[in-house]
Amino acid sequence: MYEEPYRWIEAVANRRQYLDDQFIQGNPLVGVSFAQGILLLTFNRGTEKIYEIYDRIALGGMGHPADLEKLRYTLLDMAHVEGFQRSPADVTASRLMKNGLAPVIKQAFEEIFKAPYIAKILLAEVGITQDRDRLFTINYDGMFEEQREFGLLAASSSIRGQLAEEWKTHGSLSSLQSALEVSLRLWGLASLLQSSTLSTDKEDKDEEGTTPSSITSVSTIPDVEAIASRIRDTLSKETLECVMLDRESGKMETYRALSQAELQPLIPSVFQPAT
Amino acid sequence: MGQQGDFLQVLRERGYAVDDLRATIHGNGLSGHSAKADLTIGTTVFAMKYREGVLVAGDRRATAGNVVMYDRTDKVLELDRFSVLAIAGVPATAFEMARILEHSFKYYRRSQLQDLSFDGKLRALSTLLKNNAPAALAGTGTVAPIFAGYDQLEGCGKIFFYDILGAEFEAVEYAVSGSGSPTIRGILFYMNRWGSGPVAGLDEEEALTFVLRLMTSAAEFDSATGGVDAHAQLYPIVKRISAEGVRTIPAERLKTLFSEKVLNHV
Repeated sequence: MYEEPYRWIEAVANRRQYLDDQFIQGNPLVGVSFAQGILLLTFNRGTEKIYEIYDRIALGGMGHPADLEKLRYTLLDMAHVEGFQRSPADVTASRLMKNGLAPVIKQAFEEIFKAPYIAKILLAEVGITQDRDRLFTINYDGMFEEQREFGLLAASSSIRGQLAEEWKTHGSLSSLQSALEVSLRLWGLASLLQSSTLSTDKEDKDEEGTTPSSITSVSTIPDVEAIASRIRDTLSKETLECVMLDRESGKMETYRALSQAELQPLIPSVFQPAT
Repeated sequence: MGQQGDFLQVLRERGYAVDDLRATIHGNGLSGHSAKADLTIGTTVFAMKYREGVLVAGDRRATAGNVVMYDRTDKVLELDRFSVLAIAGVPATAFEMARILEHSFKYYRRSQLQDLSFDGKLRALSTLLKNNAPAALAGTGTVAPIFAGYDQLEGCGKIFFYDILGAEFEAVEYAVSGSGSPTIRGILFYMNRWGSGPVAGLDEEEALTFVLRLMTSAAEFDSATGGVDAHAQLYPIVKRISAEGVRTIPAERLKTLFSEKVLNHV
């Protein structure tokens, strides 16, 4: 039934619809470059979403844990064999993304008889200097993007676009504290935009007049207080997961998971849940 | 796939000859003798326990027969934050082993999201030595390393040494390897038995002084050991292993100790 091109295109479109639905309830993930390194931030409900790949490279994921795990192994194998047979300096996020991840994800997405990967991945590589930091993001269809300062995983590309605009309003980040504050804010914004998409979807699906009219539409940028309230709410329910790729570690390895005790004093008081 | 975190398996699947690090040569083709005679384990490496942990030291000389190849070799190699491999033997194979181990430990930690246990690390080294036995016997890949590290489970520093076939022995107080080691071994035995107290009771400064003296003694009687060359600013590589991990003792500190307590009689 898929021999005709029309059928194939239709099948791919169905797949997009299916995958978009899978991500709508996922946790966004933010990566920002700052003076001392790169900070990756998300929240989790038990399963970690940020992992070490190589000396200077970390992975952040959104999607199905089993798929993320499989892709994580693909990257680990590739990175370690390359680092062993050539040199750790030859292991770059760019090569891992372009030669390792993108073809695998794209192929799985287009082979419509098989299951696609339910995964969006961010690969961050910390440079020796800040201008050499790289953040790569890849979508479930194999499309990837390269950025120098900021990377985001979120349910839809329109949210990513809005966040990219928001990111431009911030100057360069000089400390871990400012990086954490900005990342939290961006995460809160992405999370709100995502849930408003969810509500709008529901609205679309329901018959006219059955949904309450108070739901915000996607195009509205939520205000500062709404974002703060979302962050407070999530901090009290889920685990804040932060990893830093430390440019100044002085060692080959740069990956460091930040402990809750370390994070607590750095979280701005407006985001702290009331005790 | 390396789903068990086994980096060797990943390398095998990619066609890398991990099980045969050096081709075996059964003679040099000229005299008909084994190549073994020409390839000695010219070096001095040792590890000893002291009050605050373990010290691992190695001289800097690399030799081929009676030729000095290099005077700045690093034979005490950090495998990860908590373990060190001090190598004696054919450098090509020894460095390769260290590289494989380093990557194996990293790969295990990153893929399994936990550190490889101390015993697991020992097994990994034993496996490499076992697979290397033919080359070790032929003489082209002879390696007799010392493995020292901090066992986080038991909360103590440990030292292991190996023969060239991979037999593993745990050292209670110290382990030595290389051509300069008989001298050191004798001194360590004497000091422990009739010295002012067991070597394991020395504080860091005393222990480091002792390490420099041992290295100087080894170099005195073994031409393949570099010892300390204060004139050329060449000091042994000394690493300290404790609960905080592995730390290299800066050459500056060794320099001060050497000029104050080793060079001149005290």
